[in-house]
Amino acid sequence: MNGWHMGVGRIIENINCLTPIVAIMCLVSGPLAADEISFSSDVRPILAAKCFNCHGFDAGSRQGDLRLDRRDEAEYVFSGADDTALFWERINSDDLEFRMPPPESKEALSLDEIEILNQWLLQGSPYEEHWAFRGPVRPTVPLVESEAIRNPIDSFIRARLIKQGMTPSNAADPVTLARRLSQDLQGLPPAANVVEEFANHPSDKAYSDLIDVLMASPRYGEHMAVPWLDAARYADTDGYQNDRYRYMHVWRDWVIHSLNENMPYDQFVLEQVAGDMLPDATLKQQIATGFCRNHRINSEDGSIPEEWHVENVVDRIDTIGTAILGLTVGCARCHDHKFDPISTKEYYQLFAYFNNVPEWGVGPNNGNSPPFIEVPKSWPNLSEDENVAILPAPLKLREARKGQVGNGLKRPQAGSPQTVMVMHEMKVPRATYLLMRGQFDNPDKSELLTPGVPKVLLSSLAAQPQSRLQFAQWLVDRENPLTARVAVNRVWQQIFGMGLVKTSENFGTQGELPSHPELLDWLAVELIESGWDIRHIQKLILQSTTYRQSSETTPAREKEDPENRFLARAPRYRLHAFALRDSLLASSGLLVEKIGGVPTKPYMPPKIWSAISNNTYKQGKGKDLYRRSVYTFWRRTIPPPMMVNFNSADREVCVVRKDRTNTPLQALTQMNNIAFVEAARFLAERMIEHSVDPRIAIEFGFISLVSRKPRNAELTLLLDAYSEFEKHYLAQPKAAKALLSVGQKKRNDSLELTEHAALTMVASLLMNLDEAVTRE
Amino acid sequence: MKPDHSEILERCRTAVNRRFFIGRAGLGLAAINGLMGSPGRSKGSETPVKPGVDDLPHFQPKAKRIIYLFQSGGPSQLDLFDPKPELKKRFGQEVPKSIYPDERKTTMSSAQSQFATSPSVFKFNRCGKSGLELSELLPNVGQMADHMCVIRSMHTQAINHDPAITFMQTGAQIPGRPSMGAWLNYGLGSETENLPSFVAMSSRGSGKGGQPIYDRLWGSGFLPSIYQGVKFRNQGSPVLDIYDPAGVDSNVRRTMLNYLAKLNEIKFQSTGDAEIRTRIAQYELAGKMQASVPELLDFTQETKSTMEMYGKDVGRQGSYAFNCLVARRLAERGVRFIQLFHQGWDQHVNLPTQIRRQCIDTDQPTAALMQDLKSRGMLEDTLIVWAGEFGRTVYSQGALSPRNYGRDHHGNCYSVWLAGAGIRGGISYGATDDYSVNVVENKLEPHDLNATILQQMGIDHERLTFPFQGRDYRLTDVHGKVVHEILR
Repeated sequence: MNGWHMGVGRIIENINCLTPIVAIMCLVSGPLAADEISFSSDVRPILAAKCFNCHGFDAGSRQGDLRLDRRDEAEYVFSGADDTALFWERINSDDLEFRMPPPESKEALSLDEIEILNQWLLQGSPYEEHWAFRGPVRPTVPLVESEAIRNPIDSFIRARLIKQGMTPSNAADPVTLARRLSQDLQGLPPAANVVEEFANHPSDKAYSDLIDVLMASPRYGEHMAVPWLDAARYADTDGYQNDRYRYMHVWRDWVIHSLNENMPYDQFVLEQVAGDMLPDATLKQQIATGFCRNHRINSEDGSIPEEWHVENVVDRIDTIGTAILGLTVGCARCHDHKFDPISTKEYYQLFAYFNNVPEWGVGPNNGNSPPFIEVPKSWPNLSEDENVAILPAPLKLREARKGQVGNGLKRPQAGSPQTVMVMHEMKVPRATYLLMRGQFDNPDKSELLTPGVPKVLLSSLAAQPQSRLQFAQWLVDRENPLTARVAVNRVWQQIFGMGLVKTSENFGTQGELPSHPELLDWLAVELIESGWDIRHIQKLILQSTTYRQSSETTPAREKEDPENRFLARAPRYRLHAFALRDSLLASSGLLVEKIGGVPTKPYMPPKIWSAISNNTYKQGKGKDLYRRSVYTFWRRTIPPPMMVNFNSADREVCVVRKDRTNTPLQALTQMNNIAFVEAARFLAERMIEHSVDPRIAIEFGFISLVSRKPRNAELTLLLDAYSEFEKHYLAQPKAAKALLSVGQKKRNDSLELTEHAALTMVASLLMNLDEAVTRE
Repeated sequence: MKPDHSEILERCRTAVNRRFFIGRAGLGLAAINGLMGSPGRSKGSETPVKPGVDDLPHFQPKAKRIIYLFQSGGPSQLDLFDPKPELKKRFGQEVPKSIYPDERKTTMSSAQSQFATSPSVFKFNRCGKSGLELSELLPNVGQMADHMCVIRSMHTQAINHDPAITFMQTGAQIPGRPSMGAWLNYGLGSETENLPSFVAMSSRGSGKGGQPIYDRLWGSGFLPSIYQGVKFRNQGSPVLDIYDPAGVDSNVRRTMLNYLAKLNEIKFQSTGDAEIRTRIAQYELAGKMQASVPELLDFTQETKSTMEMYGKDVGRQGSYAFNCLVARRLAERGVRFIQLFHQGWDQHVNLPTQIRRQCIDTDQPTAALMQDLKSRGMLEDTLIVWAGEFGRTVYSQGALSPRNYGRDHHGNCYSVWLAGAGIRGGISYGATDDYSVNVVENKLEPHDLNATILQQMGIDHERLTFPFQGRDYRLTDVHGKVVHEILR
C-alpha cells in the first residue's frame, strides 16, 4: 500500500459523515461522464472555479504561496500522504475557520464537488495538464464493425453511441438530404429540379456530386463568410456614439472570394493577420489585413486619443484570441489570468505585436481611419500590375474643429469610399509597457516589453516570434495546439449547430471539454495534413453516415440526450437570421444573386436611424432590396432589427457563438414585416403563373418553400385556408388591393385580384411554417 | 461541465431538487446527474412567461418594478441639484488647477486658455417639508421632494457619452456586457405574458444637445437574447412589426393563425421536435401582443385630469410626457423594468437657454408620473431612478458672460436622484467641493448605484452572476456597494 492510500485511510476513520463513495462510482451516469473521475473533465473545473482565484496563476492574489493550477507546483499537495490528507481535511471539514474555500470567498464547494474531489483523491489524484494546451496527435480510429461506417467520423461517433447504449437513427430521405446540404452549404433552399434529380437517383456518387456542385457556387462563399464576419466584427460603421461610416466591404468581399476559392485556412489566417508583411505582398494580401482593422473606432468629440488607441489594440488581441485561438486572453489585461496560465506581462507582449500601426486613437468622424489604401476601380478583378501592395498614405492630423478656440482634439484625415483600412508597421515600433490595471495612463515604465507568445502555448523548442508576421506564422504552425482544433470545431458547429467543444469561444481551462476529444483531434490533424483544406473537412462531415441521419426524434430520445451531443440523430434547428431572410426571398423569386460590392439598404422600419441618432437611413430601391443579407448595411449601434430579432451577432465585438431563440417577436416579423409580406406576394405570383388550379398552385408554393410535396392532410388544410381567404377578399377588394401593394415592387396587374390576394395569404402562411425556416 | 447559456435556467431549477436529495439521502442520483449530466437544450426557457433564477429574490424586495428615467447627454448638476451659491463671488475667476487638473478634461475644452468659474444663473429653492434644495427649473418635481433622495456624489471614470452611458447601463465602458434590464429579466423572469418584461423608450427634448443612443443600452450582451429589452419605437409602429400589414384584418390573421397551428402540429407529430410546439405557442402569444400593445397605447380611458397632469405633449407619440404615461401603464400591466431615454442634455454652449427648455419638457411629466403612481398606491413599490451619464464642468466652455455659458463633460462628480420603493425621501446624499468638481463625501460609482438598485429588487448584486468565457460575470463586475444610508 503506498503513501496516499494510507493517508486516505487515516482520514476516512476521522470523518464521520462520509458519503458512501462506492455509491458515487455506480451513480455517475451523466451523458458525458466517464467511467471514473477524470482530472480534466471533473476535477480541474472545480479547482479552477473554486480554488484558482487564490491558488492559481495570478501572483497578485495568491494566498499562502500555494498554487494548484500547475502540475509541478501542485504535485506535492497531491502526492505526499500528509499533504493529501491535509487537502482532504480542509475541504471536508465542518470547522468554518479551517474549511477551504473560506466562507467569505463565497466560493464554497457544493457537496457534489466535495465528493468528486474525494473520489479523485481515492483514485490517486492524477494531475494532468490542460488538454487544449497540448498539440493534437492523430488518435487511432476505433474499430466499429458496421456497414454504416463511411469514414472515421462515423467510427468515433458510433463507438461513443455504443458506449452510451444508444442507437443511431436511420438515414434521412433524399429530399431532406438535398435540402439539408443546400441549406448547410449555401444558406438557401435547393432548386426544385436539383431535389428531384437527386431523389430519383440518390446514389453515393450523386450525393458526392451534389456536394461539389453546391460548393462550387458563389452562394457557398456568401454563406460560409457569415460566421467569420461575426468573429471579425465586420461592420459598415465605427461603432461609437455618432457611429459614422467606414468602408470595409472590399475586405468582406475578400473573405467571400477566398472561401469561394477554398483558400487553405493557414493562408487565410496568415494573410489576415500579416498579409502586408509577406515578402512581395500582393494588394489582395494587404487588403486581407482589414481583419485587424475591423474593430470599432471612437470618433467622439472630446475623446483622448491615447486612451482609445489602447482599445483598438486590445480589440485586435481579443478577436484573434477568441476567433483563432479559442482563448479569452482579455482577462489578463488588468491582472494575471485567474484560470489560464497567461500573465499580464504576457498579455502586453501579445499587445506589442499589434501596437505598431501608424494609427490615431480617435477617428476622422466619417470615413476610414489611417492607415488605408486606395482600392483600384477594377476590384476584385485586379490586373497583375494592380495586385501589388502599396504604401498607405502617412497619417495627417488636423484640428478637429477649426477655429473653435479651446478644442484640443486632433483628428486624422478620412479615407474615401474608394479606400479600405489595412495594417501597416511603423518603422520605429511604439514602446509597449505593461499597463497597470489595464489603464492607458498607467504604464509600468520600469520594463520595455518585447513581443512574445504566452509560454504555455509555445512548444519548448520554438523561438519567440519577433514580429507580427512571425506571430501569424506561429498561429498556423503545425505545433500550435489550438488553431486547427478551433477551426474544425467552428466547421462542426456551423453544420451541427453545436461544436464538439460547445464553448467554441473558449478552449481554456474554464471552457467545456469536447464531447468527442479523439474526433476533434483527428479532424484537427486531418485539417493540417490535408493542407488546411476546410472543404475537405466539410465534405468528410457531409459524407458521413452521422450527418445523413434523420432528425426525427421522440420524447424518449430527447430525454436520453437533450442536447444531442452524441448525435444519435441529426440536429434540427431554425435557420440563421441571414439564411432565413435569404431563403424566403429565394423561394419568392425575388432574391438577386450578385456577388460583392457596396453594402445594400433593404427595408427597415421608418426612421430607423433618425429616431434615436443623428443619421438618416436612405432605403435602397429596386434590386438593392433583394440582395443577400450578408450585404446588408451594418450599423453597429442600430443593427438591422430583423436580423437581431433572429439572434444575429451585433458585430460590436468578436462573437463566435450565438444562442438561438424562439420568440413571439420573431413570429410578428415573419407575419408582418414588409419584406416577408412582399415576398409572399411574389411567391403567390409564381404560384398563379405555375397553375390556375389552386391545388397545383399551392403544391408548387409548398415545394418552393420546404422542398417536399405536401401530405394530403396538409394540402386539404391549405385549400380550406385558401377558400376562406378567397371569400374574404372577394368581399373586400380594397383590402385585397392594399395587401397587394405592400412593398416597392409592383404586382403583375393582369392577375386576378382576389385570387392573388388569397394566395398571398396562403404563401405567407407557408412562409410562417416551422419547416420553412428550419434545417432538418 | 460548465453550465451554459441555454442550460442555466434548467440547472437552477434542478438545484432545488438537488438540495432536497442531498438533504434527505446523502448524494442522490439527481445530484450526480445535476452536476455531471447535461440538463440540455432548455426548451422550457423559451416559454412565454420566463422563469427567473431559482434562488431569487435573495431577500424580500422593496420594489416590484423600476422606472428608470435616463437623461442622456449629461445634465448639469450645478444648475439642477448641487447648489453652490458661494460661487457667485468667484464669477470669471480661473478654476484652480489644484481643484481641476488638466488630465481628465475632454479634448473639446482642454486647450482653452482659461477655465473661468461660471456659477449657475438659476436659483435654488427649498422644497417640500424636508427643505431639499432643488433648482428653480424643477418646480413640479420640487413638489415631490419629500419622496426624493438626491445623490450629489456620483463619480465616473468616463468623460465621453458613449463610454459613460454604456458604463451606467451595463457596468462597463466598453460594449459587450448585458444591460441592467437584461440582468433583471434574467434574474427575476417575467410577470407578464402579453407584454415584454423589459421595455425601453426614447424621446428627444427641445434642447439642442441631442446625442444618439444605441441598441446596446437595452441589449442582452452575453446573456441569452430572450433577456434583451424591447424597444418601443417613438415613431410609427411602436413594436417592430406589431401591426398586421395593410389589407390584413384581425379575422384574416385569426384564420391564418388557426391553419398555421394545425399545419405545425402535423409536423410536430411526424418529427417529435418539441421546438415546434414552442413555435406554435409563440405565434399565439404574438397574436395576443397584437391586441395588448395597441390597448396599452390607447389613452382614451385616461381621465382628463390625468392627461392634463402630464402636460400638453402627452398625446404626442415620442414625447417625454407620452412615454411617462406609457411607463405608468406598463407598470400597471406587470412590466418589471421600464426605461426612458430622454435626449438633449449635452449643453456645451448656451446652457441656460437649453437647459430651461429641457426642464420645461421634462419637469411636469416627471412629477406627474410620481404623483400618478402615488395616487394609485404604486409609488411605494416602484423605484424611480433619474440619472444621466455624467455631470458638467464648473468652468465655462467657450465664452462666459453673466447670463450665458456652456459646460463641458465632467465625470468627477454628478447628481442623480431616486424615489419610491424603500428610498428615504427628502434627503440629499454625499457632497462635492466648493466648485462642484470633486466628491468630498460619500463618493459613489455607477456600480454602487446599480448595486443599490438591484438591492431594492431583492437581489444581492454579488450573487446574480452568469458564466461567460470561463468567468462568472455580474452587473457590478467586482465592485459595487449598496448605499444603505439612503434606504428606508
